[in-house]
Amino acid sequence: MSQTASIELQGVDKEYRRDDFKIPVLTGLDLTVAEGEFLALMGPSGSGKTTLLNLIAGLDRSTRGKVIVHGQDLGDLSEAEITRWRAHNVGFIFQTYNLIPVLTAFENVELPLLLTSLSKRKRRDNVMTALKVVGLKDREHHYPRQLSGGQEQRVAIARAIVTDPYLLVADEPTGDLDRTSAGEILDLLEQLNQEFQKTILMVTHDPLAAERASRTLHLDKGQLVDDKVREARVPAAS
Amino acid sequence: MVPLKYNVRNLRVRWKTTMMTVLGTALVVWSSCILFGLVQGLEYSLKASGEPFDLIVVRKGSSNENTGGFDAVKADDILNLPGIARDDQGRPIAAKETLNIPVAERANGTRTNVIIRGVQPASRLLRPDFKIVEGQDFQPGKGECIVSRNLSRIFKGAQIGGLLQFGEKEQYRVVGIFTAGGSAAESEVWADFTDVQRNTGRTGTVSCVQLRAASPQDLDALKKTIDGDTQFRLEAKNEIEYYASQNTSGAFLKAAGTLIAVLLTFGAMFAAANTMFAAVKSRTREIGTMRALGFSQFDILVSFLSESLILCFLGGALGVLATLPLSALTIETSNFNTFAAMTISFRFGPLVLGTAIIMTLLMGVFGGMFPAIRAVRLDVIRALREL
Repeated sequence: MSQTASIELQGVDKEYRRDDFKIPVLTGLDLTVAEGEFLALMGPSGSGKTTLLNLIAGLDRSTRGKVIVHGQDLGDLSEAEITRWRAHNVGFIFQTYNLIPVLTAFENVELPLLLTSLSKRKRRDNVMTALKVVGLKDREHHYPRQLSGGQEQRVAIARAIVTDPYLLVADEPTGDLDRTSAGEILDLLEQLNQEFQKTILMVTHDPLAAERASRTLHLDKGQLVDDKVREARVPAAS
Repeated sequence: MVPLKYNVRNLRVRWKTTMMTVLGTALVVWSSCILFGLVQGLEYSLKASGEPFDLIVVRKGSSNENTGGFDAVKADDILNLPGIARDDQGRPIAAKETLNIPVAERANGTRTNVIIRGVQPASRLLRPDFKIVEGQDFQPGKGECIVSRNLSRIFKGAQIGGLLQFGEKEQYRVVGIFTAGGSAAESEVWADFTDVQRNTGRTGTVSCVQLRAASPQDLDALKKTIDGDTQFRLEAKNEIEYYASQNTSGAFLKAAGTLIAVLLTFGAMFAAANTMFAAVKSRTREIGTMRALGFSQFDILVSFLSESLILCFLGGALGVLATLPLSALTIETSNFNTFAAMTISFRFGPLVLGTAIIMTLLMGVFGGMFPAIRAVRLDVIRALREL
């Protein structure tokens, strides 16, 4: 296992405001995630799992404390800079896939590449490679409505990896899937972690899904209450 | 940038609202185009009526031919002035003309004023592209007349063989239909100068003299002679300037048209905005997803503005296309100077096209701006949670 720190959270607080009330969601959180780790975040609803994921993915900002990802303190970035940072460093996998219904599988996967300066031919190569990795090379012309839930999620994973990001964040990636499809998606995430050394953060309620991760964090009321590491699951350093 | 096909396909997916907005926009563009097409038709008609070397001589101080009558002897003197252009047979291209504006009955039974112009042979040369298109020219002294094609469609008895009767003494048998290059003459009935003088009891006076100078130097000299002669007490007006000063109807139509177009454009902007607000609302999660993937606020703004512009462009194009079949449209209105019937033919020109483009852009940009700003301001995390 590589011991290089990939993600570091130092004394992170996150509060939301509702009228005059402050609602604390995360309190004094310290966390280090190594490069190439597959981390599962578990906990009851409202425990702060998705908020933590959003902070690390650069979608949200901490109220206090530092969030450092791959050496970059996200607090130092402006709105425009953090948007660009996300485009290059983070791949998103959502519970409801969030594919654009009017775009084909190919076009959905190509979407993040439109923010790069790659040529059309290079974009096509990258998209086809990503679709091949998720096993949907023959579905490039299909629209989301023409795909099953599992296939939609695989297209979403292809979209997440097509820019070869440093970090993959998955919010309940199997939450909307049947057991078989969920198993296939988890296999795919494991493959991405072990073969392609992607650092993966996955929020899940499903203990079976969490078992596929190399490390499982339990949150409750905005604090880390448990941290289990399964050494056997951690990939060898490349 | 968000690919344009994203917007185009979304418009296709919600084709019902797209169609409604496109049709609404098209209707606005179409109606404004018609209005401005008529303004342009009127402007063209007055512009076509004026020739650069032509002078129109009226009584000093009068604003138009109808109020500018003067002694026929003076008119004869003017016809013999040096510097007037000559026709093939060496005759001066200059004509005495007299105007009468009686009330006539339209084919639908209503009544309005109509211009009867008593003309001389040279009058035909002084109008652009004067042509008898049906029947024949009138013969002097026989109580005959020719009618412009536009008026022949409007007035009772104005077709070939018909009888135009005004009061007890004045009547003319229609023997021909003419066109005159879209000029003001296309709103007139022409008869022989002497016939009209006699019928109206105006022997010895003329309404105006129209003449063509042989050269620019002659034009200046003729103008100087006529304006400067204290005996004449007449004024030689350059035809182009004269007809421009007669365009009060055009100014009114233009002002009314602009006001109506502005109001309609505002209405269409709200329609476009409504459609785009609905689009933003129904695609909140898609917007959140694209923002999460790294598309900037500017990308989203441009994307939704483009969609609004496409929507309005489709409407604008449809509106303009629907205008084209109306190029043969001619409407009747009143000349604000003579209160006589005036026909205006629709003209599809730069003013119409410019109006359509400006309206389309305004509707697209302002109709799409606020929804696009709403899309840009969406909180990414909340947008992603939207179902």
